[in-house]
Amino acid sequence: MKDQQIPIIQIRNCLLVSIQTELHDRLALDLQESIMERVRVTDAKGVILDVSAVEVIDSYITRILNDIGKSVRFMGAVCYIVGIRPAVAMTLIEMGVELDSVNTALTLDLALEKLELLQS
Amino acid sequence: MRTVENEIGEILSGTISAITQRSIFNRLGPLAGRPVNQLSNADRMTVMAELENSVRLFARRNSAELIASCARALGADGPAGGTAAAGAATGNAAAAASAKKLPIEQEKDIATARLEAWSEAVRIGLSKFTSVKVATAVSELARNIVFYAGKGTIELRAMSQGLQIIASDQGPGIAPAKLEEIWAGTYKSQRGMGKGLVAVKKLVDEFQLDTAPGRGTTVSCLFRGER
Repeated sequence: MKDQQIPIIQIRNCLLVSIQTELHDRLALDLQESIMERVRVTDAKGVILDVSAVEVIDSYITRILNDIGKSVRFMGAVCYIVGIRPAVAMTLIEMGVELDSVNTALTLDLALEKLELLQS
Repeated sequence: MRTVENEIGEILSGTISAITQRSIFNRLGPLAGRPVNQLSNADRMTVMAELENSVRLFARRNSAELIASCARALGADGPAGGTAAAGAATGNAAAAASAKKLPIEQEKDIATARLEAWSEAVRIGLSKFTSVKVATAVSELARNIVFYAGKGTIELRAMSQGLQIIASDQGPGIAPAKLEEIWAGTYKSQRGMGKGLVAVKKLVDEFQLDTAPGRGTTVSCLFRGER
């Protein structure tokens, strides 16, 4: 398997992760680990996961997102998922799976706004 | 003779710049110059996997539609569409206009199956939302195969009443006690949420499960088209 890595970008005291690729087991674990490490090193207050390029979110991906949300929360930061597509949201509702360990915002901009409000 | 580059270039123009297109075709190598009707099924998979990644990365919007159009252009229903034509030749033409059987053996096959299912759903005219549901259900089923059985197949059948999906494997099967836990929602797997089958059942219009320890598992489900 190709050695992939999902970039984590820091904007002020937030970490931004844009998911553009297929999340498989290995990659998801690596991502979770590196996000936690970066939160520790940078003392980030928020982590934003952009999933606008993800066209299908199944129960497995949901679990990965929830796991990342939980681990970020354990480290005292807040996790936002942004860019969930309407069809994806509808599908998640019908499937009865919950994204309950993360916060959501429509866009990256709105997530940043909410995070700033939290800090003031 | 229309080449892959001709067909795909036409679809991508207006959305993806010429320079970016150039680099996408470079990555396809000799396949880019191959006439569309001389592609083998394996070639088609390779081209689509590459295109899916690139289009997702570069297209600002509508990447799903673009990917589906690309799949169509590459002959899912074209005159030389290998699998579709073969399905029609062997099957009852009225019941199954076309059928496609996809091998599922490793994690990357999950993405391929999902994409194929998506483009098939779009092709037979299911709505955009339904197509996403189809892709999600296939994703769940393919993941189950890879995680629990190791290998199996997913068959997509375009029927007059909608799209039928048959996921089948010769894996360990599911014991009745475990099945009860799954339907009750109390089962928790190591790798997933233990919710895959429940999720699929909720998404589809018709659902049928045939499994027993040692006999493998077959899930058959149907998405109806909207009237």
